[in-house]
Amino acid sequence: MAATKRSKPPPPLTPAGTDPKVLRRAHFLMRLSRAWDSRFEAMARVGRIGRWYSAVGNECTTVGTALALGANDAISTVHRDLGAVLTTYLDATRLAPALFPAGDATEWDALRPPPQSLLDTLASQVFGRRGGFTRGVDRSFHYGLVKPDWGIRHVGMISHLGSMIPVASGLALANLQDGNDRAVLGFIGEGATSQGDFHEALNLAGVMKLPLILVVENNRYAFSTPLAEQYACEKLSDRAPGYGIAGETVDGLDFDAVHAAMTRAVARARSGEGATLLECMLPRMRGHAEGDGSYELIPPAEREEYLKQDPLARFEAALLARGQADAARIKEVTEVTKAIIEDAVERALLTEEPELAEATRPVFAPGEVATAFARQSTEVTGG
Amino acid sequence: MAETTYIDAIRRALGEEMERDANVFLMGQDIAAFGGAFRASKGLFEKYGRLRVINTPLMESGAIGAALGAALVGKRPVLEMQFADFVSCGFNQIVNNVAKTYYRWEAPVPMVIRLPFGGGAGAGPFHSQSPEAWFAHTPGLCVVAPSTPRDALGMLKAAVRDPNPVIYLEHRFLYRREKEDLGEGDLLTPLGRAHVVREGKQVTVLSWSWTLHESLAAAEELAKEGVSVEVVDLRTLSPLDEETIFTSVRKTGKVLIVHEATITAGFGAELAARVADQCFEHLDGPVRRVAYADRPSPYNKKLEQSLLPGRERITAALRKLARY
Ligand SMILES: Cc1ncc(C[n+]2csc(CCOP(=O)(O)OP(=O)(O)O)c2C)c(N)n1
Ligand SMILES: [Mg+2]
Repeated sequence: MAATKRSKPPPPLTPAGTDPKVLRRAHFLMRLSRAWDSRFEAMARVGRIGRWYSAVGNECTTVGTALALGANDAISTVHRDLGAVLTTYLDATRLAPALFPAGDATEWDALRPPPQSLLDTLASQVFGRRGGFTRGVDRSFHYGLVKPDWGIRHVGMISHLGSMIPVASGLALANLQDGNDRAVLGFIGEGATSQGDFHEALNLAGVMKLPLILVVENNRYAFSTPLAEQYACEKLSDRAPGYGIAGETVDGLDFDAVHAAMTRAVARARSGEGATLLECMLPRMRGHAEGDGSYELIPPAEREEYLKQDPLARFEAALLARGQADAARIKEVTEVTKAIIEDAVERALLTEEPELAEATRPVFAPGEVATAFARQSTEVTGG
Repeated sequence: MAETTYIDAIRRALGEEMERDANVFLMGQDIAAFGGAFRASKGLFEKYGRLRVINTPLMESGAIGAALGAALVGKRPVLEMQFADFVSCGFNQIVNNVAKTYYRWEAPVPMVIRLPFGGGAGAGPFHSQSPEAWFAHTPGLCVVAPSTPRDALGMLKAAVRDPNPVIYLEHRFLYRREKEDLGEGDLLTPLGRAHVVREGKQVTVLSWSWTLHESLAAAEELAKEGVSVEVVDLRTLSPLDEETIFTSVRKTGKVLIVHEATITAGFGAELAARVADQCFEHLDGPVRRVAYADRPSPYNKKLEQSLLPGRERITAALRKLARY
């Protein structure tokens, strides 16, 4: 069966070695991401929102990698990277103070803005409302937030998959030019690895030794197309030596493995050793978009296997097994994150639609060109 | 005083802007020690090093995307396409990523993409094109095409300083043919402003870049025949300086649009539509265009010359138009 290439049972979880502070935050953020998806999936099912690309199954990868970054490292995200966005934006200790002992707050948290307001903006953004990052002109994760004072450098996606890989390489290039030791984390689905921009950007990253980590979220399908119809190499990380960069494939169900691989990649980036292609193997737990029929195309036995491989469930089982959390803690985190998302969504739904004038807002940043554009008499409609 | 060629004016602009602002950097193929296919960056690599004069592998899309990433965190990249024709390999990055960013999330994208373009050298279908209309059609891009060394200098400097993406079309035929005494100083040409190069009373010619010079030669010819032709150098195609264009057309009542790009859906079509709309009551003749035939550019020089909109064709078109 074509689609089951590389879907062998995952190896056992790597031994615990991760800092309890990191594990607490990771658990919270993964649960927050999951709560968000559950809420939006439910709305998509009843037609309250048009489309939802679920990130269920990606949390361990998005959170596990983004948590290895520091203030003003940059991230570039695509459509299933909510976990990385939340990880980068939010001071979790201020969002849910009851869940974190004093001392869990980091130096970066001190720079970050109040988490609730960012979460509200994000929710409004997803609904296309006035209060969103784009105030209604672009969808969900199609925006960026570059606020060095907050330690946040995030560049979101355009729809054209693959197009953000060169942009991530450019963020890394700027670090090289500035002579700092910051890293850049870019995400793509495995589908985008077939794009020309993947090749151009990784080739440049190899030649210039760019401090870039490109994470491939390999969920074994691009829309409806299985791996065997996407590429003929064994692992996507096999391509890394061809670019003269480091490559690793890890089990995206295994938080410790993801976090450890990312930590190694970040160390390489910071020390000038260059880029890493980090492939994370994920279970395809949802269809391409909710209700688009693409999940039904996956053979039922394979589907069931994926659903059993839920990385969040595995992470919690590991926390319990290692005595890093008890059942009450897991229940509490689950409930608190659910309530936080519920609140944010309710508040966003009460916000206003954008003003119509947003549709014709400037395409040029203020300056000579913007002034000349405004002078054109036949601009908007031609009369 | 020494005269500066068009290509030297470009090199001077790059050097002055790199000196003025440490965030300005160059990216392109063979632009470092070699100085670029046309030597536009000669000497700058030695001065500014490999992180500010970046030789890229043979790539367009990836380089434009990388420049966008750098621009989003405060850099001011100036990219050189080795030939304008190759910009098609980076088209998606320009029209979907670079051009739309400010509208989408209000992040300025200060970036210049230099396009050495145009025919007349017998370079064939893939080294001769004039791609301005592709970009003028896309909201969010400033498109400029200077025709003199003075404007090549002043507009490139202005483009580097503007917080928006600028498509900068530099005509290869003009590189070493156009020269003028530029003098010293920080010379800027405003973006979005056309220039009435020759005043006249009976016909207006709207043109830019190489065909601007051909139009001036044709205007000179018509003057001998007693026809007074006004020639407007558009300089910036988008955003368009409608005020200067409409003022001229309302004065003369006739307009000839001349460009080197192929005629169908060329930028001249946009000009014709705007003039028809805004100057209708003042027109005393048809809005005419002289442009390239709807064909790729043939390799053989005689074949190419037969299609280029040079001074003879412009002169003939002006004579006809003057008779209305
Ligand atoms: C350049 C481009 N071509 C086609 C599409 C349509 N499209 C949207 S998502 C998708 C599949 C993406 O697959 P993958 O990269 O594996 O990400 P996943 O959705 O599986 O996480 C396709 C083909 C697109 N967005 N961009
Ligand atoms: Mg996929």
